[in-house]
Amino acid sequence: MSVSPSLVEVAGLTVRFGGLVALDGVDVVVAEGETVGVIGPNGSGKTTFFNALTGLLVPAAGEIVFLGRRLAGLEAHAIARLGIARTFQASRLCLALSVFDNILIGMHAGRRTGVVDFVVRRGRFLGEMRTAIERVSHLLALFNGDLPRRGFERVGQLPQIDRRRVEICRALAAEPKLLLLDEPSAGMNPEETAELMRDLQIVREEMPGLSVVIIEHDMFVIEGVSQRVVAFNYGRKIAEGSFAEIAGHEEVREAYLGKEAARA
Amino acid sequence: MSRDLALVWLAEAAVFTLVVAGILAERPWALGATGAAIVAAGALVRFVPRLGTTLAGAFARRRPAALGAGVVLALALPLALRSSPYWTFVATLALLYVTIGQGLNLQIGTAGVINLAGAAFAGLGGYSVGLLTVAAGWPSWLAVLVGPWVAVAVGTILFVPILKTRGHYLALVTIAFVFIFNILMNNLEFTGGPQGIKNIPTLRLLGHAFTTKPVLAGVELPSHANFYYAALVMAGLTTWVLRRLHDSWLGLALNTLRDDEIAARCCGVSITRGKLLAFSIGNFFIGLGGAFYAVMVGFVSPPDFDFGYSLVMLSVIIIGGVDSIPGVVLGACLLVPLPERFRFLHEYRLLLYGVVIVVMLLYRPQGLWPAQVRRYR
Repeated sequence: MSVSPSLVEVAGLTVRFGGLVALDGVDVVVAEGETVGVIGPNGSGKTTFFNALTGLLVPAAGEIVFLGRRLAGLEAHAIARLGIARTFQASRLCLALSVFDNILIGMHAGRRTGVVDFVVRRGRFLGEMRTAIERVSHLLALFNGDLPRRGFERVGQLPQIDRRRVEICRALAAEPKLLLLDEPSAGMNPEETAELMRDLQIVREEMPGLSVVIIEHDMFVIEGVSQRVVAFNYGRKIAEGSFAEIAGHEEVREAYLGKEAARA
Repeated sequence: MSRDLALVWLAEAAVFTLVVAGILAERPWALGATGAAIVAAGALVRFVPRLGTTLAGAFARRRPAALGAGVVLALALPLALRSSPYWTFVATLALLYVTIGQGLNLQIGTAGVINLAGAAFAGLGGYSVGLLTVAAGWPSWLAVLVGPWVAVAVGTILFVPILKTRGHYLALVTIAFVFIFNILMNNLEFTGGPQGIKNIPTLRLLGHAFTTKPVLAGVELPSHANFYYAALVMAGLTTWVLRRLHDSWLGLALNTLRDDEIAARCCGVSITRGKLLAFSIGNFFIGLGGAFYAVMVGFVSPPDFDFGYSLVMLSVIIIGGVDSIPGVVLGACLLVPLPERFRFLHEYRLLLYGVVIVVMLLYRPQGLWPAQVRRYR
């Protein structure tokens, strides 16, 4: 479908929780610079898919190849350092820490100073931090020009939409090659969702080479941002294609609406 | 701007005067007057509009000057307390708790690794000094430098529970560790059993024995002033190092894994490395405090390092402010001398600490000097 080389190749990915098969032989390929939407009813395995990709879960079978490298056996932090960043459905920010700190941690893996610099050669560490904070401010300003000024406030003082932005900035700060967004519009009203779509557009323009996989329930978001859609149900991939193809796909309609309604 | 300077120095001088007066006042009326003055000063700052914020602003703008004056006053304290060797000793003890508290705060406050075995790690430092000097004949200063490493090394025994358990369960494991340590010290022959190790030689630096009375600016001070100044350097260095570690990639990573392990892992933070680093660095400074204690009092025995002292260390952190570097200093300087001042409290010391912890957690969980956001300046 795509001519650009593939960034991630997932083949036969299977995750079991005891007797429950949460993911059942899923194959997904994401090309460089592509945005893939993932849809499916609750419990269909979308978040489990992300958790397996990021190393939070150990798959029972199947293979994930990222940049030509098999991820099997790697811990979550090692996978993150290879260039996979994500956000979470329920916000996972550290509310007691500052806005800057919450995003700076995304750059932790790329730090160039160590304990000796922290304590003795303090200037080197502070110099690195100054550059890092400038970059973080630049990222924040892409979404909301007010946010850089609030960088040293605790993140708990920000409204919901800005917290979501901070979380996206944290993921982007790592300069990932693959960004996983787990239902970014969760808990947002229509206006906020519209703002979110604008934010995602900004990410697209700012980082054209970045591949994005986005889980969403809001079909307007999916239609607006994704070039390709993958549909899950009961842990299996039931369809894949353009938004129009998926929207007309019978099994997808059944999964969402039930057999009767889908036929009507 | 010079108004700021005057305010800062005035406030520091007032605190110093009140503290010294509070310590030295012996007659009931003098003690009552000092107490009333302390309450009045507190009420003044609390209730006079803008006084609190004015002072805070002045301190923020004049940080180096405030710090410098603080150092001068800390250096002058033994002069003010020279009539009382006992209080010089208590002040030194408070400084040891600053050192220990900074180490423990890195574990509990910054990394969320609940370690209630502080007494055991201080004990490991202390007993190492005892064994190295008395049994092996090492010079005291060398033993004090090596003792902390023993605490770090023995701490590796707890690496598995540190990584596999968290919260209350980790707390229980570390409590068990203190009791194991105490039972071993009571029963092992080479550690002297219940008698412990006596006659630990005192420190000797450049030919100056710490048992001789130092003369400062023509004034003869009690011999404990030697230890006071050494402990002041140690606590100052420890606080300086921990401040810088806290305001760094390390502190940030530890804070993140404390608040949300999953988010931290997905940002490339190794939980294993972070927790073990925090635990080991923390144990080093806890062991250092214990090692210094051993050469200061000249003996170590099991009751010097029982579980109660773990609670004292924990209260220091909770009073001052969890994860707050200046909070630890404040907590130690409040909590160690208070029961010494009011001897009737002394027997109920642990009760006092327990009440203080409960009250703080209920009404001011962030502590008296809450942790501030990192500024990277």
